Amino acid sequence: MGLLLENLALGFSVAFSMQNLGLALVGCLVGTLVGVLPGVGPIATITMLLPITFGLEPTGAIIMLAGIYYGAQYGGSTTAILVNIPGEVTAVVTTLDGHQMARQGRAGVALGIAAIGSFAAGTFATLVVAALAVPLTRLALRFGAAEYFSLMVAGLAFAVVLARGSIVKAIAMILTGILLSTVGTDLETGVERMTLGFAPLSDGLDFAVLAMGLFGFAEVLRNLDASQHRDAVDRPIGRLLPSRADLARSAGPIARGTLVGAFLGILPGNGAVLGPFASYALEKRLARDPGRFGHGAIEGVAGPESANNAGAQTSFVPLLSLGIPPNAVMALMVGAMTIHGIVPGPLVMTRNAPLFWGVIASMWIGNLMLLVINLPLVGLWVRLLTVPYRLMFPAILLFSSIGIYSVNNSAADVLMAAGLGVAGWALAKLDFEPAPLLLGYVLGRLMEENLRRALALARGSLGTFVQRPISAGLILVAAIVLAAALLPGVRRRRDEVFTAD
Amino acid sequence: MDLPSSPPPSPPARRGIVRSPRDLLAGVCLLVLAGLALAAGAPLDPGSLRSVGPGLLPRVTAAGVGAAGLVLVLLSMLKAGEGLGRWPLRGTLFVTLAIVGFALTIRTIGLAVAGPVVVILSGLASEETRPRELVVFAVGMTALCIGLFRYLLGLPIPVLRVGGIVL
Amino acid sequence: MRPALPILAARALGAAAALLALAGPAAPARAAYPERPITLIVPFAAGGPTDVVSRIVAEHMSRTLGQQIVVENVAGAGGTTGILRGAQSPPDGYTIMMGHMGTHGAAPAVYPDLKYDPVKDFEPIGLAAGTPIVIVARKDFPAKDLKEFVAYVKANSEKLNEAHAGPGSVSFTTCAFLNSLLGAKPTRVAYRGTGPALNDLVAGQVDYMCDQIVNLVPQVQAGTIRAYAVALPQRSPALPDVPTTKEGGLPEYQVSAWNAMFAPKGTPPAVTRRLNEALLAALEDPATSKRLTDLGGDLSNKEARTPAGLRKLVESEVARWKKVLADGGAAK
Repeated sequence: MGLLLENLALGFSVAFSMQNLGLALVGCLVGTLVGVLPGVGPIATITMLLPITFGLEPTGAIIMLAGIYYGAQYGGSTTAILVNIPGEVTAVVTTLDGHQMARQGRAGVALGIAAIGSFAAGTFATLVVAALAVPLTRLALRFGAAEYFSLMVAGLAFAVVLARGSIVKAIAMILTGILLSTVGTDLETGVERMTLGFAPLSDGLDFAVLAMGLFGFAEVLRNLDASQHRDAVDRPIGRLLPSRADLARSAGPIARGTLVGAFLGILPGNGAVLGPFASYALEKRLARDPGRFGHGAIEGVAGPESANNAGAQTSFVPLLSLGIPPNAVMALMVGAMTIHGIVPGPLVMTRNAPLFWGVIASMWIGNLMLLVINLPLVGLWVRLLTVPYRLMFPAILLFSSIGIYSVNNSAADVLMAAGLGVAGWALAKLDFEPAPLLLGYVLGRLMEENLRRALALARGSLGTFVQRPISAGLILVAAIVLAAALLPGVRRRRDEVFTAD
Repeated sequence: MDLPSSPPPSPPARRGIVRSPRDLLAGVCLLVLAGLALAAGAPLDPGSLRSVGPGLLPRVTAAGVGAAGLVLVLLSMLKAGEGLGRWPLRGTLFVTLAIVGFALTIRTIGLAVAGPVVVILSGLASEETRPRELVVFAVGMTALCIGLFRYLLGLPIPVLRVGGIVL
Repeated sequence: MRPALPILAARALGAAAALLALAGPAAPARAAYPERPITLIVPFAAGGPTDVVSRIVAEHMSRTLGQQIVVENVAGAGGTTGILRGAQSPPDGYTIMMGHMGTHGAAPAVYPDLKYDPVKDFEPIGLAAGTPIVIVARKDFPAKDLKEFVAYVKANSEKLNEAHAGPGSVSFTTCAFLNSLLGAKPTRVAYRGTGPALNDLVAGQVDYMCDQIVNLVPQVQAGTIRAYAVALPQRSPALPDVPTTKEGGLPEYQVSAWNAMFAPKGTPPAVTRRLNEALLAALEDPATSKRLTDLGGDLSNKEARTPAGLRKLVESEVARWKKVLADGGAAK
């Protein structure tokens, strides 16, 4: 314990230098901006800013780049709540209740609770990283392909719980999402599949294209339809920040979400994306009146937001302790460190202690900065919502189109998003929901990769999934979650809520 | 105030074999999708358990989608549900045209033109649009975006292609 | 009163002449290259070995050339997507690319529908750096040195799992070569990139791997994986305790993941010459070359630093990999 405090002190002394504080601030600001803009993501930004960091010393460079990463998480939630466009994968769940809250005039509350929850989660996660990096990594290493597959299956079970309406349609959407994830070049054999010979699809559908088309564009189309039937509605602004009651209600979800997200973030292989989904499913199960979920339940924002920020922080663990990046953004960090002459690996903690602890301390400082930046911004965002829709939606389309184009510098991506937008509009007309589809898409890829790998390693034996203890446990969780969702008793309650709508 | 996320319910479905036309259409769409997917995935090798091939998951999921479609078709005849609902085309048409217009002009002429194209064309989708306001807004927003994306964030988005020169 | 037309004309001519005189001596038919930033396409995700090498070299070259070299990452299909885009770019010297042993050596063998020809569609500029390959295994692999490793693998290959980063990647092709030399038939397990593969190797879920030294140094130094040999004629300064394949008894296994710069076909020779000069300056610069060798980069092959030498290298590599991957076992 004494050693931990000593190390943290070292870290804070490094992080509190004027230059490092300034760099953290720049990173957070750029990250928030990037998160808010649809399509533009931390990867593009970090890549772009990498050359600028050459003139900086390594610790400062990493602090700034890290700030961009978790800043983007905060920003991605903002668009999810305001305009129903998830800026990042992890913000998809926030759209479910967050946007509904915005429609009810509680945008400020949603944004506020997202920021507060994220800060609480970030604080806790930073401590976790500081104290438990090494033992956690050892635990994470026990996750092999079979365990990941089972984790994904559990994730899909959560996705079913996510659905607001008909279960059959939810399952159909999840399966369609998985189907879409198979489009592209097959990992193991290198053959192109399901692309119908269409060249831009040879690397698969980009998440940003799918999210923007299915959520962003489709949402605009839906709103345009609705306006043709109703009179102009004035959205009452309501409170700007969460009330005491809101905070009280969110305390539990924030705590649980943090734990779930922190754990999943450690798993190399992008386990962090599951955090928000798991948290949402958990809160919906635990709530006394789950019917509120999907219609503006604050727990549906507090839990997932905490989970997603906790996951963003703990995903640094495999990087800092093993030197192995768990996802594409971390891989960039590795590159950045390498270019600066620091070889990331298990020895960084001892060989370069100031860097290691400085980055950790700066993560907490960054979270504090983001809270301070974002809370006042809530007022600004909410005022933005009063812009008449006839001007708002062309602006959304403009920003989204540029964002999609910027992902791969590809106009074809924009066309695909347009097509997906029409598809999303049609899906809504047929009472299908887009969120399970997106989740199926994200999980599908991970699931298939791990399924094939697990079977290859086990030489074809299906038993591997139940013989390995962690994997077996996860499959059990999935089975329980599914059973609970499908049991007649629960079904009746859901139907009641559904028809009462 | 809760805005409807799906179109307002139409009058109760008429009595007949099909008690929920919307679900029927939904189921049929799924069946079509499944069929397309199975066709696209046909040349792929499903492999064996020892070495699962690229064709396995597409086939299994396509079959699943098809099964869900069948269930919906059946349900549409058993359970009463919604009618087809209204499918107003004006909004969808103009917005789609706008985005397509953006895609066609962004690389060939640049953001300076693609921006106004998407804003103005999509503005036509709404009855509430005021023309002059829209044009001014288009120009202003495009300028803002150019400054933000190209200069602040440094993204390589072509602003204006004149002759062979890209700004 | 307006001057008469001839006087106007004379004034106009005079003004024009004055302007021309101000412009200085007649500009050469081709303006000095480079006049604006140059794009260097790196066909892999940022942060990987090729990307790091490219950025280090580009930084120095920018100083020599007086114009910024901007790295653009275009990843996909083992690097061929980015290279294809580079090959199709206008040959004016403002778009160049960093290819490597995969994209310009093994690609024709791995991708039957490859849409470019590594020899014909490019003007070679020069070799940047090679990254030697190291044979590594999980830390409790039952072999003390390379000899025992070879014996064990030959005897038990069907039970073993070999990790690689997908068809067309360096780890894929170099281990295909190793397997073919040893007559081994392990189960080849694909991962999305070296990171996840390394992760499973550290965890002990897979048995061995062949990869670029850059990725492996920290793990070997920390003892989380074992290195058996480095495929170089002499030991690498980054891992001085690891013997060479020659010392270990497998001298035929010589392979390096070389990274080299190319320009699209038709780029004027004067331009490629300037780029080559800048590249050589970067590689000779003590600070830059130290950064490269600290990472494990191999700067010993000076012959291929010339365009002619590089062309020869590409031709020999294409032929070599075609042979190896035909009998060694491509795709599966």
